[in-house]
Amino acid sequence: MIESRTARSVIDHAVSLGADFVDLFVERNQVNEISTLSGEVQDIGSGIDFGIGVRLVYGTRVLYGFTNRTGAQELERIVSDLAAKDRRDPATSARSFDYRDVPDVHRARRTLARDPETENKATWLLAADRSARAASNLVAQARGSCAQREQAVEIFNSEGLHVRDTRHYVRARLTAIAADGSEQATGTATEGGLKGWEIAEAVDPEETGAEAARQALVNLSARPCPSGRLPVVIGSGFGGVIFHEACGHLLETTSVAKKASVFHDRMGDMIANPVVSAVDDGTLVREWGSINVDDEGMATERTQLIRDGRLVGFLADRIGSEQTGYPRTGSGRRQSYAFAPASRMRNTFIEPGEDRFEDMIASIGRGIYAARMGGGSVQPGTGEFNFAVTEGYFVEDGRVRYPVKAATLISTGPDVLKRISMVGNDSALATGMCGSVSGAVPVTVGQPTLKVDEILVGGNA
Amino acid sequence: MPVCEAVRARAERVLDLVAGAGASGDLIVSEGTSLSFKARDGELEEHKVSSSRIFGVRVLKDDRAGIAYSEASDGEALRSMVAQAITNASFARSDPDERILDHDGILATDDALLCPTDDTSLEEKIDAALAIERRLAARAKVKNVPYNGVLDVAGDRHVFSTAGLRAHSRSRVCSAWAYALLEDGDRNVLDGTSRAARRFAELDIDAIVDETHARCLALIDGEAVPSRRYDVAFDIECQSALFGVFAMMFSAKAARDGVNPMRDKVGEAVADGALNVCDSPRRSDGLRYTLFDDEGTATKTVRLIDAGRLATLAHSSATAAHFGLDPTGHGVRSPRGPLGVGVHQLNIEAGRESETALASGEYLEIVDLTGLHSGANPVSGDFSFGAAGFLCRDGERRRPVRNVTVAGNFYEMLKRIAAIGDVERWNAARSSLMARIRFADVAISG
Repeated sequence: MIESRTARSVIDHAVSLGADFVDLFVERNQVNEISTLSGEVQDIGSGIDFGIGVRLVYGTRVLYGFTNRTGAQELERIVSDLAAKDRRDPATSARSFDYRDVPDVHRARRTLARDPETENKATWLLAADRSARAASNLVAQARGSCAQREQAVEIFNSEGLHVRDTRHYVRARLTAIAADGSEQATGTATEGGLKGWEIAEAVDPEETGAEAARQALVNLSARPCPSGRLPVVIGSGFGGVIFHEACGHLLETTSVAKKASVFHDRMGDMIANPVVSAVDDGTLVREWGSINVDDEGMATERTQLIRDGRLVGFLADRIGSEQTGYPRTGSGRRQSYAFAPASRMRNTFIEPGEDRFEDMIASIGRGIYAARMGGGSVQPGTGEFNFAVTEGYFVEDGRVRYPVKAATLISTGPDVLKRISMVGNDSALATGMCGSVSGAVPVTVGQPTLKVDEILVGGNA
Repeated sequence: MPVCEAVRARAERVLDLVAGAGASGDLIVSEGTSLSFKARDGELEEHKVSSSRIFGVRVLKDDRAGIAYSEASDGEALRSMVAQAITNASFARSDPDERILDHDGILATDDALLCPTDDTSLEEKIDAALAIERRLAARAKVKNVPYNGVLDVAGDRHVFSTAGLRAHSRSRVCSAWAYALLEDGDRNVLDGTSRAARRFAELDIDAIVDETHARCLALIDGEAVPSRRYDVAFDIECQSALFGVFAMMFSAKAARDGVNPMRDKVGEAVADGALNVCDSPRRSDGLRYTLFDDEGTATKTVRLIDAGRLATLAHSSATAAHFGLDPTGHGVRSPRGPLGVGVHQLNIEAGRESETALASGEYLEIVDLTGLHSGANPVSGDFSFGAAGFLCRDGERRRPVRNVTVAGNFYEMLKRIAAIGDVERWNAARSSLMARIRFADVAISG
């Protein structure tokens, strides 16, 4: 996307100012988005983001600049501005680029560059829309959206690395709104992956619409949620957000290096119930959080984080690795050229256990079944996290009784990991976007259904 | 200025291409620069600079709208952008309400006010970042200051249309923030504060340090309170965030789309009769001050809730045409997005209760909310957040409270207002100006 001699010139300039390490991240991001409402196409947009991020490292100090004015002169000006306070005699010399072809294990067929397929996407979304509104007279509205993007990246660094990668993302979503008098409730079904529009061949829009309507109708009938410290069974798939928030962020060297994670000095310790083993895996074929190489040019990998309750791994980018001494894991990620890379999760999940859903529910006297989760957040320094229940049920005397609404679960990572007492065998993954220091990146969360013996449920009953 | 002339020349070419395709349209060009620093262990950890420019076009052809954007600004990229927008419009629904307004001529804001010259040197900004971290790290019980920094962002925004609109505004926002991790035995807390201003020199670094440390010290021993209903008063940050999450209630676009529960309630009581809410875009002491919206419509103070009744929704030209009303100056559009609706500077007007009266008896003062992005449903009004604060009596903080949740329905909560204070305060980002509200009978779980 830029000529090697331009990259060479910028990196040589930075090295001449004494930088220990320099890299360039060049990105061209093509986007196509379509939204539907009330059985009609509402908005269609498309565009191209293009820019370059340049990172200079002096010791462990990171200097970062970006621009979408891409001439060598502008890039060298940014480098000079960045290095103004740190410039010194050259400590190293830049190596010649050694271009490395990256095998694409997530090849897409129906790509955005080939054809945006606007009409096909509209047809798919409108079929889902019809299906949702046909489910019940109470479904008053349906909103659909499909976003496809093709992110081409090229990475150069002063150690001679030169790689290119292209990532194809697609995500389709339908939200149904059910109304009864002044009461309104929503339900959302989402499909997506590191794929092209061939996703439409595998996903039935009518099922997507029906699922969104089902959730909206359940939530419309939901009662206020009981509150207090209760046992909770958390459903598979997006329920994995509990591990993402409760533990995953605390295992990123972004937090570990600053000692801003409660787990920063716990490597090798038992931090979870022995039934818990957890993995972050960037290699899963065509999964939403997968990559061929990370945004520092390193081939990604599978990283065991917790094995049988014991902490065995952190997620490390280049700087995090240098600061903590833990090996890089191909986890250096960023939203775009506007962000310096940081250690980030990819596809993170709790591995399956042997317990049955029925046994988990039967073990509860009074509690909650959180069938579907929304997003959440965490403070790594204290481990305090929260996440929202988007489809929940009250459980009493070992039976699922009735749907409940507006519930948040809060706890701390160290506490909840020890209170996971049962892990099912129905593993599933779900797509999400994760926001952190290097922006919003696609991640997969996942887990089998599991039971937490006690967690604070915030309800309105 | 040369940059403006270069932008103007490209914009004219884009609009010529739009007109040549038999369409009308508008173009937003957004340019910006930024500079930021973060500190760690007494040294500069991160230094970031940027320069950016993006062109975003909206075309209207045969009553259909299409949008496209490009961060490349060469002739071929801009031609491709217009062609994409025209193609996109061909797939969109027919919407005769959306049109390019007949605004022509030149609109500008006061650059000297919105983007003042600031002679703070690079070294002084670096020193500020280092000072925040160093001074906080030296305070009692502070383990480290993992999140801190200073930021200086300046930008130019241009709106051009085929009707002849040539609007330009320039802005500058400087900010500084610190979040400290305090430890005391087995207890810990992470909390912080921020400040924003148009001039770097106006940022009160000492106040950030003092306030962050005081908040953390006050909260570190916090424990849950028993689950029941309490009167609740949010601090201005939390209250501003809460109203921001549910700002869709004022959106005429959401009403037109059938997702705003207030769509049929204009003129009806939607809140306690003591509540008055307006949008005050021309308060120049706010950092979202603006004289015109993204369609070139002049802004004005708009009363949204008047004595508890929903007075109007916020309108763009398209929603106003749909409902047969006049635009209210709330058309918003980013270079990447379609025409939408947004409130500029939300203002909850001062009530009649003194701060002392507001704080009478027992209530929970909430100073931290978590899960705002995931725990709220603006369509239903239901919310459930993690919360921290203080159990108070007669204005005195009796005990710190942590690890609780606050839950309810926001639209119902607006009807259960116990008191509104008589002092208006800006939030830290200076984007909303609010008197404090005491809500009655709010579910707290601990």
